[in-house]
Amino acid sequence: MDLGFIITNAIVLSCIYGTLAIGISITWSSVGLINLAYGFIFAFAGYGAWYAAQFLSENGAVVLAAGILSGAFAGIVVCALAFIPIHDKPNFNVRGLIATLAISLIGTQGLMWWFGPRSKNLPDIFGSWSVMLGDMALTADKIGNVVTSIAFVAAVVLWMRSSRRGLEIRAMMMNPHAASIVGIGVRSTGFYVMAITGGMAGLAAVLLSQTYYISPFGGLTPMIKGVSIALCGGLGSVQGAVIAAVILGFNEAITSVTLGGQYVLITQFILIIAILLVRPRGIAGILDRAREA
Amino acid sequence: MSERAAVLRVKGLSAGYGPMRVLHDLDLVVHAGERLGIVGLNGHGKSTLFYAIAGLTGWQRGSILLNGVEVGRTRSQGPGRYTHEVVRQGLALIPQGDEIFHGLTVEEHLDSGAFTPRAWKERAQRKARVLEIFPPLHKLMRTPVGRLSGGERRMVSIGRGLMAEAALFLVDEPSLGLAPKIGKGVMDALMGVDLGQSAMVIAEQNVSLLEGRVDRIIGMHVGKLKGEAGASMTLHTVREL
Amino acid sequence: MANFWRNPLFGWGVDRAEDSQPTLPHRPPQEPWDETRQSKVEMFPVGRPRLYYKWPGHGGWTWNRKRYWPTRRRLLNIRGEYNPKTMRREKTIVDKRPLWWVMALSFMVIAPWLMPEDYQTTLLTAGATFAIYAAINLVWMLVIGTAGIYSLATYAVVGAAGFGTAWLSINLGVPWYVLPFIGSAIGLVFGLIIAIPATRLDGFYYALLTLGLNELCRVYALQSKIFGSSTGGLYGADTYISEHWDDATQSLVAYFACLTLMVLALVLFRFVNGKRIGRVLRMAPEKREAFAEATGVNFRQARIMVFVVSSIALGFIGGFYTAHYRGVSFSIFSFDTVLLGVAMLVIGGIGRAEGAVAGAAIVIFLDKALLSLGPIRLIIIGAIMLGVVLFLRGGLFGIKPQFRAWRDKKKSERRSTRAEKGGEMLPEEATETRDKDLIYWRRYDKMQRDYLKKLVSPEVIEEHRKSPLGQHSEALERLLLYFRRAPLSDKYAIIAVEPFKAYRIVALSGQRGVAPRIVEDRIYASQEEAYHGIFMRRVQDLLES
Repeated sequence: MDLGFIITNAIVLSCIYGTLAIGISITWSSVGLINLAYGFIFAFAGYGAWYAAQFLSENGAVVLAAGILSGAFAGIVVCALAFIPIHDKPNFNVRGLIATLAISLIGTQGLMWWFGPRSKNLPDIFGSWSVMLGDMALTADKIGNVVTSIAFVAAVVLWMRSSRRGLEIRAMMMNPHAASIVGIGVRSTGFYVMAITGGMAGLAAVLLSQTYYISPFGGLTPMIKGVSIALCGGLGSVQGAVIAAVILGFNEAITSVTLGGQYVLITQFILIIAILLVRPRGIAGILDRAREA
Repeated sequence: MSERAAVLRVKGLSAGYGPMRVLHDLDLVVHAGERLGIVGLNGHGKSTLFYAIAGLTGWQRGSILLNGVEVGRTRSQGPGRYTHEVVRQGLALIPQGDEIFHGLTVEEHLDSGAFTPRAWKERAQRKARVLEIFPPLHKLMRTPVGRLSGGERRMVSIGRGLMAEAALFLVDEPSLGLAPKIGKGVMDALMGVDLGQSAMVIAEQNVSLLEGRVDRIIGMHVGKLKGEAGASMTLHTVREL
Repeated sequence: MANFWRNPLFGWGVDRAEDSQPTLPHRPPQEPWDETRQSKVEMFPVGRPRLYYKWPGHGGWTWNRKRYWPTRRRLLNIRGEYNPKTMRREKTIVDKRPLWWVMALSFMVIAPWLMPEDYQTTLLTAGATFAIYAAINLVWMLVIGTAGIYSLATYAVVGAAGFGTAWLSINLGVPWYVLPFIGSAIGLVFGLIIAIPATRLDGFYYALLTLGLNELCRVYALQSKIFGSSTGGLYGADTYISEHWDDATQSLVAYFACLTLMVLALVLFRFVNGKRIGRVLRMAPEKREAFAEATGVNFRQARIMVFVVSSIALGFIGGFYTAHYRGVSFSIFSFDTVLLGVAMLVIGGIGRAEGAVAGAAIVIFLDKALLSLGPIRLIIIGAIMLGVVLFLRGGLFGIKPQFRAWRDKKKSERRSTRAEKGGEMLPEEATETRDKDLIYWRRYDKMQRDYLKKLVSPEVIEEHRKSPLGQHSEALERLLLYFRRAPLSDKYAIIAVEPFKAYRIVALSGQRGVAPRIVEDRIYASQEEAYHGIFMRRVQDLLES
């Protein structure tokens, strides 16, 4: 347990959880849905990737693609069930939240029923080489995790900044009513958003399965971490989520060095509560304010 | 009588929100190249008429032909669900107040007005055209819209509407909430738009802003159009002038 | 067509009088009358059906208003009224919920004696579980429904109190009757800690945070040795169920104890939600807090108070939980427990006591009765929850108002399809109008206009153009008489811009001191032309109406 190991670990985990957090953040701010079925999407994508590894090929790219695609598929399913029928009904926010909770209940129990409670693991998708940096070894999965998640998130953010669809999504983030006046189909945009964020969850699932296993309820902890990061960064803000992921990652590293592993969650929540007490809408919760205005 | 095609033909339109009925069996024809004013007090259904054409009311029934395509339908829920399809048919709604995207810059904002694929391709030319109408926006292209003043926001909002490749522009209360001078400027700009084969309908409370500058004025009173007979007759009288 | 009207004044050499004018053949005004009287439309039921049973009134008894201590409420909210048709006294029970509550609770009390002997223990255990969950739900409903704080940490509070009291009971030998009160103290401390972020955060931020807190409790309890991480829970606390009783008595006592707990929770719900603090909070719903604050409602304080009170109550339930089950297991912190709890609230309907209880009954029944199905029963519960949330606005108990709203909407939509033009009152409008004369006046007016519309023809217009004033043919005379009788507001008039040269048409405001408004820009060269202009406008208005 040396410091370098813990710091690299923290960086890897914060990259993965950051991906999840950005997914949750984008979902909330553009379609107004708190997606608590994210854990289910995560687990579903993990099983999708497992299937691909089992029956298709153990090639890293294939497994990764399968995870992303099945995550996107699960995202579309959640959208079709929890967003499309009620997005223009009164009390959508609360009802959407509860609908995603229900989907999460159904989905995880369904996975449990289908696959059984035994967890599965995925093959190493980045190979098993390592690089020595000074006196610490950077293994392939760490480098691969960091590079892949940053590249994916960067690609999504860039796409949202420059393309027509991205402008659509951002417009909907800010004012859904005006967006429909301008000619943006709220429902189709909802599908795009949920597919992309689902893909993010899928990516995170595959990457995290390099360290942990895939199980029906395995999505819960990552989701709660992702939610905490999104909260801390401010729902709806990508930059905020990135900053929060870094802060919380280092908090995790420092806590486990100084206090011990079981206190990680406690310090994390104390930190989040402290940040939220100072800025109730997270580190950069400015966009969210605009949405409610 | 007019040989020009009707851009908008509304027949027997009723619309409302929940149990409330705002529009009562309303007929309206707007011809190509025409500027039409709709005058009426607050709460008499001007905005609802526009929203109904865009499919944004709680429920509606009756026929709405936009460029000969039926866009109205008997609908009892889902306000805004089909709005983007109506917009694709060539509607540009410039809504009351500032329905703007606070975080986008003026430029992105103008882009967002051109969502139909064709308009998106030629958005550079369109932007240039809008800037000709609203020169003050030149300097502000990179500013987030949330930081603009009320008059500038209205310019952006109208500019966004003009970006679209629309056959029908619906302008809702362009002078509302603005200083009289700025309101007049906005109205001048609207009058300066070259319509070509499209048409423009302006809803306004202040008759004096419209008088003598639009082709005809229709009054609106408790959900019904008033003070004008069928369009053909009026066109006739207007031409006599 | 060759119908001419002979001017009787012609022979008298009146100025500009012409011998004869082409005009319409006479049409009897009887036609529109007969047409209106004919029944050609489908008859729709009008007004509202009577949805309440009306009890016959009996004199002075109606006015007797017994109040029950300590509130100033009446046992039943009864409205006395007169039947508008028969003028008889009648009474309506406005709120029947007390009756339902009495029936349901008395059923729960006598239920143990109605159960089949073989299943009695199982059913009583299930009943006890139901009552505990219903109590938790009722208190949770106070937090979510009344205070509007979306807290998902309810089971965390219950679990914390449960674990705390269990530990104290095992290690220090605290007797069972103290446990709920120690639990309350733990709940108070816990509630105060969780309440700190609730002062600043709103809505979903808080929901997500409390979800995290729940997870924190689970992970912490799982990892700590003193809370029995190896045994899956903490067991062996003191209990109120004596070992010396036989099985039947044990389960019966447990059942009634839990039922008492539920009734206590109901009383708490009633006293928080139905009193001043509940009213205050109902004035400050989500997103309208700023307005409530501006009217002087201190909703923050009220919210925190409700939150702390319910945390104490949850702690109490947690202590009772320990005393009931002799301990707590980790599963109380698990995400599935939270999900099932949310399912109970949602299925019943958020914000109602009956919803909390009925939701608990449904979910516990599915959970216990279909135990053999394994995970599928949770899938079924999830599906019900999803269905309820997608289709119902306020859970099962919100069906009635939702149905009414839907019916009202449909009604007004249907009305819009069958509305005839022309200003006649719509049936629904007519039932609501106080002045019934107005209905007939409007109908008469419509018939008259229908008739007059048929009189408008090019000949008549031409005749008017030739001489706006003077003697006219019958058709024109009828039209003019109708126009002249128009009400003063918005009546057209002529204004002389320059006498004998320029005239304009204006519309009178109908109010003293308010100037008429200009109707059109057109300038007429002579008074006659202006008269004709007005006539044309009125004809247009008539044809359009």
